[in-house]
Amino acid sequence: MFNTSRCCNPIQVGRALRARRLIRRTARRSVPTCFVFGLLFLAHVVSADPLSPADLKALLAHIREKRAAAPQVQADFQEEKTVHMLNKPITSAGTMWFQAPNKFRREAKGNSPSITVSDGQHLWIYYPKFQSAEHYSLGKRSPLDAGIAAITASLNLENVEATYHITATKEADGYQLQLTPRNPSMKRFLQTFSIRMNNDLQVGRTEMVQPNGDRIVTTYSNESRAPIPASTFEFTPPAGTEITTPLGR
Amino acid sequence: MRLHSLIANLVTQRRGAVWSAVAVICALSAYILVTRMRLDSEVLNLLPSGFESVEGLKVYNRDFAQVRELTFALLCQPTDVDKLEEFAPQFAQKLREQSWCTRVLAGAPIETPEGIRDLQSIAIPLLLNLEPAAFNETLALLQPEKIRERLHRLHSELEAGSPRPQIELGLDPLGVIAPALKPFANNAAIEEDQPLTSPDRTMRVFLTVTNQPSIGAVDCQKLMREVKAFQAHADEGWNGGPLQILVTGRSAYVAEISLSMRHDIVITLLGSILLVSGVFYVGFHRWLPLIGMGLTLLLCCLVALATGLLIFHQLNMVTIGFCAILIGLGVDFAILIFGRYQQARDEGIDHPAAVSEAVKSLGKAIFFGALTTAVGFMALMLAGSQGFTQLGVLIALGITFAGIFMMTVFFLFLPWKNSAPRNDWMFTMVKNYVRWTVRRPSPMLWISAPLLLILTAVALSPKPPIIFDVSTHSMEPKRSDAGYALKTIMEKMPSRWEPVIGIVKAANAQQLHDYWQKVAAQWNGLQVAGKIKSFSTPAALALSPQRLQTNRQKLRTANLHGARAALEAAIATEGFTRDTFESAFVLLDQLQGVALLPGQLPDWRTQLPQKSSWWFLVDRYFAHDPLLTTGFVTTNAPVATQDQKEMLHRELPVESVPMVLSGWSFTLTDLVPWSHRQLILISALMAVFDATLLALLYRDWRLWLIQVATLTMAVCAMIASMKLLHIPLNLLNVLAFRLVLAIGVDYGIYVLLVWQKARQLDHDVAGVVKPVILAGLTAICGFGSLGAANNPTLAGLGYACAIGLFWSLAATIFFTLPAAAAAEPKSWREESLRPRVQQPENV
Repeated sequence: MFNTSRCCNPIQVGRALRARRLIRRTARRSVPTCFVFGLLFLAHVVSADPLSPADLKALLAHIREKRAAAPQVQADFQEEKTVHMLNKPITSAGTMWFQAPNKFRREAKGNSPSITVSDGQHLWIYYPKFQSAEHYSLGKRSPLDAGIAAITASLNLENVEATYHITATKEADGYQLQLTPRNPSMKRFLQTFSIRMNNDLQVGRTEMVQPNGDRIVTTYSNESRAPIPASTFEFTPPAGTEITTPLGR
Repeated sequence: MRLHSLIANLVTQRRGAVWSAVAVICALSAYILVTRMRLDSEVLNLLPSGFESVEGLKVYNRDFAQVRELTFALLCQPTDVDKLEEFAPQFAQKLREQSWCTRVLAGAPIETPEGIRDLQSIAIPLLLNLEPAAFNETLALLQPEKIRERLHRLHSELEAGSPRPQIELGLDPLGVIAPALKPFANNAAIEEDQPLTSPDRTMRVFLTVTNQPSIGAVDCQKLMREVKAFQAHADEGWNGGPLQILVTGRSAYVAEISLSMRHDIVITLLGSILLVSGVFYVGFHRWLPLIGMGLTLLLCCLVALATGLLIFHQLNMVTIGFCAILIGLGVDFAILIFGRYQQARDEGIDHPAAVSEAVKSLGKAIFFGALTTAVGFMALMLAGSQGFTQLGVLIALGITFAGIFMMTVFFLFLPWKNSAPRNDWMFTMVKNYVRWTVRRPSPMLWISAPLLLILTAVALSPKPPIIFDVSTHSMEPKRSDAGYALKTIMEKMPSRWEPVIGIVKAANAQQLHDYWQKVAAQWNGLQVAGKIKSFSTPAALALSPQRLQTNRQKLRTANLHGARAALEAAIATEGFTRDTFESAFVLLDQLQGVALLPGQLPDWRTQLPQKSSWWFLVDRYFAHDPLLTTGFVTTNAPVATQDQKEMLHRELPVESVPMVLSGWSFTLTDLVPWSHRQLILISALMAVFDATLLALLYRDWRLWLIQVATLTMAVCAMIASMKLLHIPLNLLNVLAFRLVLAIGVDYGIYVLLVWQKARQLDHDVAGVVKPVILAGLTAICGFGSLGAANNPTLAGLGYACAIGLFWSLAATIFFTLPAAAAAEPKSWREESLRPRVQQPENV
């Protein structure tokens, strides 16, 4: 850089020394600056990127296309439910089937097995252990409808913009969608709904937060888009089952 | 001294004495009005008494808090439904903040934490009121094993994602409240049928109870002024498109109807006075007699009102409308008397003699005219309605006074000096017509008789049918905000229609309980059979003291300490938070207290907070007296036909339970036969009276037949016109038929009595036909001016009377007169037309 031996003129020497000190000082300051910039660069590479409205629209269109091509899905699930009425979270696992737009079946295994079946108009929850079933009529603007809409939203995502405000971020291995309800009746049931998808747009994890603080985290695996028999979404209570209608007619 | 001479002497020679008498009468009447005037604003008093349904409505209006209820509705555009859902709680809060608002129901109370808490506060009496088997089952739920099972089950359901445990644990953590509320929950069925949100979500309905001190017209108007002020700024905070804020309810209607009544009275009275004055001036070209006529009519109104007050002690507001009718009727006498008087003056007779001549010529006709009209209106007493009885008596009194005053007091206003006779084109025209008709009656008869016969055929023919409107809408003011609000709500929520109410009063709580148990069982059967859509009763809230006592005995044997311990253990085992079950422990303590408490349980009404939305449900069933109750039946369709009403009359009452069926639609349908009876029977009675009177009066079967035929055809022509013009009959304008009979017969009497006594037919008959035409026109104008009324029943009455009087007048001139002429030999007619003394041409 600057060689002082070649400088005979004291003025020149002095200038060279001041220049060297300046460079050293600048170099010392540049280390943390570079580190910060480096971190920022890395963070930019590693963390999520918010999608612009146009990108979000394109993503949703892409999801719709994929769902239209294969409107059914089957997957295993694991669920962790934190309910304010219980001291500890509840975990359950099982398999679910979904057929767009609103048919689904969910079979939970373990100590408290249950089968939940909806054909879009009726919802059955069957408890084999108690030989009892609950029957609900859907589409009557009961709080249950908002809950069902939230469940099917993650699996369907058809016209989801009409029901939710949506933000999305691009992550390294997929997308994170954050849904907040537009509809006041749904707001009473649901605070936020997050969906994590991989790059193939398969739902990997959902998290539902309710206004009372209850939280349900579900992870999905072994997704299949093979056709599902229609009978999967039909339910006839076995003989001897005690049937109740908790929300009345 | 003959009566006409005596009158002439009094009003011409002793004017001071007559004026003094008038002054005394005025002063007395004014004193009575000032000191005793009490107005009855109860609209229901216009309906006939003696009908259970009407009495039921009165009881419901008087004793139930529902009458203080106002219904608000928010109506938005379809694109704003979400905004409306967000705005609704703000609007409900604004309503709650209003000083006139006691309670607001903006949604099902069970969906709010306060509603659940309030319900828990009355759970124990409801639990103890369960029938023995249900109570035993519920008590069994407190066994430790059952408690453990239940909590384990709820835990499993929570795991499965069922919404049930959250709902159940929120309302009933111990598991005994739900069975206690089961009978009560059945009552909410009607709320499901009549929701607070329209199916398309563009309308939200809010029920409010107001704190107006009384349900009278003045308080309703005051309340509605405040409500309108609230309405004007109630959309603050709304950020969507156009938002309509509608309000309806009894108070809204009463305020509107009472205000429109005031408007109607002013408008119709002014209209009557203007039109009558106009016709009078056109006929006689004189102002002083017109003023005299007006003042004499006012005197009639004043004296009739004072006499009415002395008889009835208070007068219904609608009877004030009698003034307009009285002016329309009383003016006939003035015109007739003045017409004859003026004719005499124009013939050169002096004032006293002209007065004597007028009274002599027309006294009998006016007496009988007043008699028929008074009897016609007195027949309103047969309607059985307090309001219309008063109206009938007041008009009968008024018309009698009009007859007396027009033949006495009216002459005080006439000048001694007669102004110079002028060319009376109307008299000349009428005289020419009379002369022509008497000479050649057939051409006129060939025109009028077929026309009247065709109209009679139309009237008697089943097609086109006459429209009979018995809907509640037929009684609403034409421009009614409350009516528009109700109509819009009904359109948006087609399932919301007025239920039939069954009112039951018991002597004690046990009897009330037993009554409603029987009624609920019977109505349930009707619902299952599909005869009614749904029903709701106060059965669950009508507690049985016997059951309460028995169940308390059983409760004492229950192991409530064991239940508490089992609950504690199960909560810990299943991992529930203790907070969730806090109210369960409170309930266990309360049950313990109730079991040990000596004496009677406190009244559940004192346990329910005053602000609670559940009061909407309670007030729906219970009057201020808790032993006066009502149940509701929603029919499969709005009640409109006699078949529906008869089915309900047959099926709803329960043997040994005294029940009054009512409701507005039900009552109006119930009144249809009454209305038909009014139309046919009482009008027929009137016709028989008139026919008998005419027979006695004329003592000539030909004239009697002509007049009866005239009356019949005039009434038929009136019916035909109403059919062709699509003017509906309603519960009140059927009264027009008897009015037309009463007034129409007078025209014939005036003409035919003069016909019988005429010395020179064209002169004498024209002398009465001209005043009859003027009187008819003024009456038509007077009643026609009622058409401007905002109240459709009053307007309908005006139109019907105007049409009927038109045909009566036309039939008298164009049929009675030529027919009377045709009944006489031609030679007699020629002889009668020959002048006996030379008359000036202008006469």
